[in-house]
Amino acid sequence: MLKTKLMLAAVALAASASWAQAEEVNLWVRTSSAAVLQALAEKYNAAHDDTVNVTAVIAEQMVPKLGAAIAGGAPPEGAVLDLIYLPTFAANDTLEDMTGFVESLPYADALSPSHIRLATYDGKIYGVPALPDASIIAYNTDLFEQAGLDPEKAPASLDEIVEDAEKISALGDDIYGFYFVANSGSWLIYDFLPHIWAADADILTDDGREATIDTPAMRETLEDYRTMWQAGTIHPTSRSGNGNNAVEAFASGKVGVLMTGSYIVNLLDSNYPDVNFAVAPIPGPTGGQSSFAGGDTLAMIKGIAPEKKAVIEDFVKFYMEPEQQVFITQEAGMPSRTDLAEEAYANFDPRNLIAYDILSKARTPYTYASDELFVSRTGPFLNLIQSAVFGDDVDGAIATAQEDFTKILDRTNP
Amino acid sequence: MFLKRALQKRRQAGSDEPHGWLGLAFIAPSMVFIIGLFIIPLVMTVWMSFFRWPLLGRRKFIGLENYAELLGDSQLWQSFGFTLLYTVLVTTAIMAVALPLALLVDRPLRSVGFFRTVFFMPVVIGFGAASTLWLWLLNPDSGVFARLLTGLGLVDQAPRPLESFWPALAVIILMVVWKTAGFTMVILLTGLQSIPNDVIEAARIDGASPFSRFRRITLPLMRNSVLLALILNVTSSMLAFDQFFIITQGGPNNSTISAVFTIYLASFSSYRLGYGSALSFALLVVLVAISSIQLSFMRQRPEDGR
Repeated sequence: MLKTKLMLAAVALAASASWAQAEEVNLWVRTSSAAVLQALAEKYNAAHDDTVNVTAVIAEQMVPKLGAAIAGGAPPEGAVLDLIYLPTFAANDTLEDMTGFVESLPYADALSPSHIRLATYDGKIYGVPALPDASIIAYNTDLFEQAGLDPEKAPASLDEIVEDAEKISALGDDIYGFYFVANSGSWLIYDFLPHIWAADADILTDDGREATIDTPAMRETLEDYRTMWQAGTIHPTSRSGNGNNAVEAFASGKVGVLMTGSYIVNLLDSNYPDVNFAVAPIPGPTGGQSSFAGGDTLAMIKGIAPEKKAVIEDFVKFYMEPEQQVFITQEAGMPSRTDLAEEAYANFDPRNLIAYDILSKARTPYTYASDELFVSRTGPFLNLIQSAVFGDDVDGAIATAQEDFTKILDRTNP
Repeated sequence: MFLKRALQKRRQAGSDEPHGWLGLAFIAPSMVFIIGLFIIPLVMTVWMSFFRWPLLGRRKFIGLENYAELLGDSQLWQSFGFTLLYTVLVTTAIMAVALPLALLVDRPLRSVGFFRTVFFMPVVIGFGAASTLWLWLLNPDSGVFARLLTGLGLVDQAPRPLESFWPALAVIILMVVWKTAGFTMVILLTGLQSIPNDVIEAARIDGASPFSRFRRITLPLMRNSVLLALILNVTSSMLAFDQFFIITQGGPNNSTISAVFTIYLASFSSYRLGYGSALSFALLVVLVAISSIQLSFMRQRPEDGR
């Protein structure tokens, strides 16, 4: 009896002691990254008194939900956001300044440069890289061989892809040369814009304040896509797809070239080991290479309590450790610390390195209106791709897009 | 105002004072709901529509600018046009299916309860769930429809109805008819059953054919339930959102974006809450106008027309 009482008292004491010190923080993350961050949080929680709670939010609802939570005065302590949203949140004074913390990290110089650039507003840093990734093309080497193409030699230009796609489509009625996700703005920023960058052009000025749609690179790229669509070499679910069927279509072995991201290598290795593929940088219309430096940035919401801030900073230091960086590489295909790349890649498929090597040429548009310009279903970017590729007036589509971009930028530039 | 007048009327009619307050007590809960869930949000919506109100950042009073922009918004007019087209087509289709169904289950047979249940069953599914279900059924690669059609050898390639406008619209209408015709059937059935049997009997004895009995007796006496069914269907079609959001996602090429979808996109895709409010208020005005016309038909007694 006494023993039980004593034990109960001890348990209660232990519980209250840890309760008094331990902090709990909430992190919102987009669904596509939730599994990795959940796993990292569990590892962290198991080894620490503090707790990091991860809540998955559907990617396209992240901004409205977080915005509403901030406006309503009940936001989570932190969020792991698509890096492209950082300028919008930072410019609106909703994020906690992390400059001091980032600069204090011994590996500060090795943090993914695109993440830091997008997290920087007015000279201050508002986020740290969480999960990086880059866009690449994956191509089916079996189909290349069957079509009489050299599977060792990746297509070096979009023009070349157009020719290859035609030969691959000619293999049979269920086989298509090319797959891109045509109905999702976030996919198109990721997979389409690199063609433009590879030709040394851009869609926005560096400061994100003006649109520069009308370039030869844009016209040639759209013409190439249109040629493929009219030749029937683009997979039919491409047009209305939102990305859900893309990997599946490629993994079925019936797609020659897929516009995709760095995660594809380890994903195919573990889920579809029978598919023979190679990966390559995304080429421009007549040559060159580029990529979208994408992924997630961790940010803290302004007004966070100092104790909770300390927990999040501690969590960041935890996932920046070599062991966790290897885990992140396995899941996302890329570590967020460039100084750990060799260590992180040693265990995995060397094809991962293609995406890593291209990062020095990768870009991310810096914009305050990413959703309205690029992601929105009725937005000018999706309209441009849809009407130019599947319609018949490329010049008209470019002119309309330039006009619509400018209208939105005039209204949203801070 | 109205309440006071109503109470005065009651008093003039000679009723006791306490009854008035008792009545107020009875309606108080609904008044709280109406004020809290309708009046206050409505006033706030109108208020917000005078602002540039971004999700993040500062709001700014801009007067009627949102309404001025709305008039020149081609996307909005396209979506209004589409919503009207959809409303006309779907309402016609629902009535065309629900009326025969109502006549079919208005029989004193033993199995009739079973059929009424079967026809009504889809009504209890939410629009979101029904849309997701149909999206899954329609999938050209793994959906049941595709397998069925190719399996029976009716088509070579699985159909992809969501990739062109008319097939996409047809699929949505089919889904909505499947889901809501049962509800309209019940409304019409109530109308049918309120027709006194002896009227029909009298007509039968007078030698009226089944068709002319239906056209000259049944239909005119069902007038109010038909009108009620029309009002409910028109209102819900004008406010349609879930099916387009889930099944067509506004595609192909933004051709199936309904009016409410436009409001959603303005508010939660472009984060222009002020403009979204202006759009909502404009839609409310249109709906009130359409419904008042319909209600005025309902208020006219059939005798008035003679």
